[in-house]
Amino acid sequence: MFNGFSHSVMGASHEKTNLVCQDSSAFKIGDHYAIAVVADGHGSKKHFRSHFGSKFAVEAAIEAIDRYYEDREALEANLPEYHKLILKNIEKQIISNWNVRIEKHLAENPVTEEEKSKFTEEEFEAILPESYYGSTLVVAVAGDNYTFGVQIGDGSLVAIFEDGKAVMPMEYNEAAPANVTASVCNSNAAGMFSSFYVPNKKLIALYGSTDGLYTSFGSEYDFLDYHTIITSQLINLETFKNVIKNNLSKRSHFGTEDDISLSCIYDADLLREKLNLINERVAENKQAAADRKTAALSKQVEVE
Amino acid sequence: MSNERFTEPEVNENINVTPSDDLNNDASVSSAPETDDSILDFDDDPLSATSVSKKSLVVFFLIDTSGSMKGKKMGELNTVMEELIPEIRRVGEADTDVKVAVLTFSTEVRWMYANPIPIEDFEWARLRASGVTSMGAAFKELNHRMSRNSFLNSPSLSFAPVIFLMTDGYPSDDYKEGLRELQTNSWYKFGLKAALGIGQEANDNILAEFTGSKDTVVHAYSGGQLAQMIKIIAVTSAQIGSKSMTLSDDTGQELGEENVFAAKQKLLGQQIQELVSTTNDGDDVPFDTGW
Repeated sequence: MFNGFSHSVMGASHEKTNLVCQDSSAFKIGDHYAIAVVADGHGSKKHFRSHFGSKFAVEAAIEAIDRYYEDREALEANLPEYHKLILKNIEKQIISNWNVRIEKHLAENPVTEEEKSKFTEEEFEAILPESYYGSTLVVAVAGDNYTFGVQIGDGSLVAIFEDGKAVMPMEYNEAAPANVTASVCNSNAAGMFSSFYVPNKKLIALYGSTDGLYTSFGSEYDFLDYHTIITSQLINLETFKNVIKNNLSKRSHFGTEDDISLSCIYDADLLREKLNLINERVAENKQAAADRKTAALSKQVEVE
Repeated sequence: MSNERFTEPEVNENINVTPSDDLNNDASVSSAPETDDSILDFDDDPLSATSVSKKSLVVFFLIDTSGSMKGKKMGELNTVMEELIPEIRRVGEADTDVKVAVLTFSTEVRWMYANPIPIEDFEWARLRASGVTSMGAAFKELNHRMSRNSFLNSPSLSFAPVIFLMTDGYPSDDYKEGLRELQTNSWYKFGLKAALGIGQEANDNILAEFTGSKDTVVHAYSGGQLAQMIKIIAVTSAQIGSKSMTLSDDTGQELGEENVFAAKQKLLGQQIQELVSTTNDGDDVPFDTGW
């Protein structure tokens, strides 16, 4: 049985400048599937409605995935052979759903004089309306024995499969012009996604996060170890939720000052079964971190 | 169908909150608690095992350890670098993670440690001098390591690095070729650069080619001056390097990367020259006496 959580915190820098949180996040537990989604609105001057953009991106993703799961048997029968095509279609559907939402929002909420006042007339005319809502998007889906995900822009996906090791399964689209600048508002957004598909592997937990989380770590090792530690505590999710929320706030406050979102879906039954293994991995990671530190402090030069 | 169970998406939006709003547990945390202490209490937090990284600054020292540095120059340099480390620790402090990387160049080019080391863990290894002066090779090695795939691979966001070159003589290899390669490196381009010439033989024109301007090149002719200059340059450049610059003083417009670099480099040159003009030689014996 799947379970999950998601949380977004506003960055300390945004608090200081009275901006709203640009991040959105969600999770959904369906019938033999679960979805984790995070989105990071761009927040800069021309993306002045990106807090709506990220919310719409999250909704658009869930709507697109749910649509495919209306016939779960057909989807699961086709995924092994046609996953590339299916994921491409999901990406297109997400962008289409997002555009419907922002167009509706714009029609019902025309740009105000206050919003326009930050630009000269020429500057404002040069901005495409979809840019007002620009956002990244990270989506991860888990089925009974497969996992897939799509991503546009920066952010991270971490998976812990049945061997208990934290990995980043996304295969980044080398053709996309530096993934960190891709956005749902790009005119060719549907072609700028990266994706992954992992068949025949049982998933313990899957996490999506916006880049505010990754950039609060000093190393990728620490980032991955963090997810293993969280997984070891999920068995007490209701009490641990507050610990996670507070830790995300701390990471934003003392780290990057950026918005941070984390969304998680996990197999509660498999987690119970593998809890000892996860705890062993936590201990191994701690030792490995200590060993790396010792190795790093070994001198390489000729000394007096 | 009745066995299906799903949870409505928990779309965590944030509304524009003012500091006086209460925390709403159903929405994401969008305002800091009334007292910051409440988020600091994490004795029982298993997630504290992985520390929070702030913005990082790497300070690169390129140090000539050729044979001509033997004796007083190397001895004085070793001593001042040992004394310098605690002073650099105070730079940035609450807001910045400072790391140090030391590249020595003589006949060979060698890093003191395999990776940049956080300043709080950094221990100076007293260097030995021998061999020739492969400055070009040092430039090439620096170019290779100043990369997101190498020394600048930390996920946490980085300030542009500080690069401090110290040498007492003329390069024995083709330094221009190495410098040309280094000048294509974006980290180098936007990094804060300064250089110290040690003794009579050091060529300030070459050092100015490296830093891009004469006001970020200083010269030391004695042990006392060496100690003063190293401290001035290292501490000043680390302080400026770890400063967040987002607004221009004059126009209030957001500064682009190039403008931030130019402003910082200019400030470094000004501050170095001001501090240097207040130093004195005292009774110090020049390096080149007896050479």
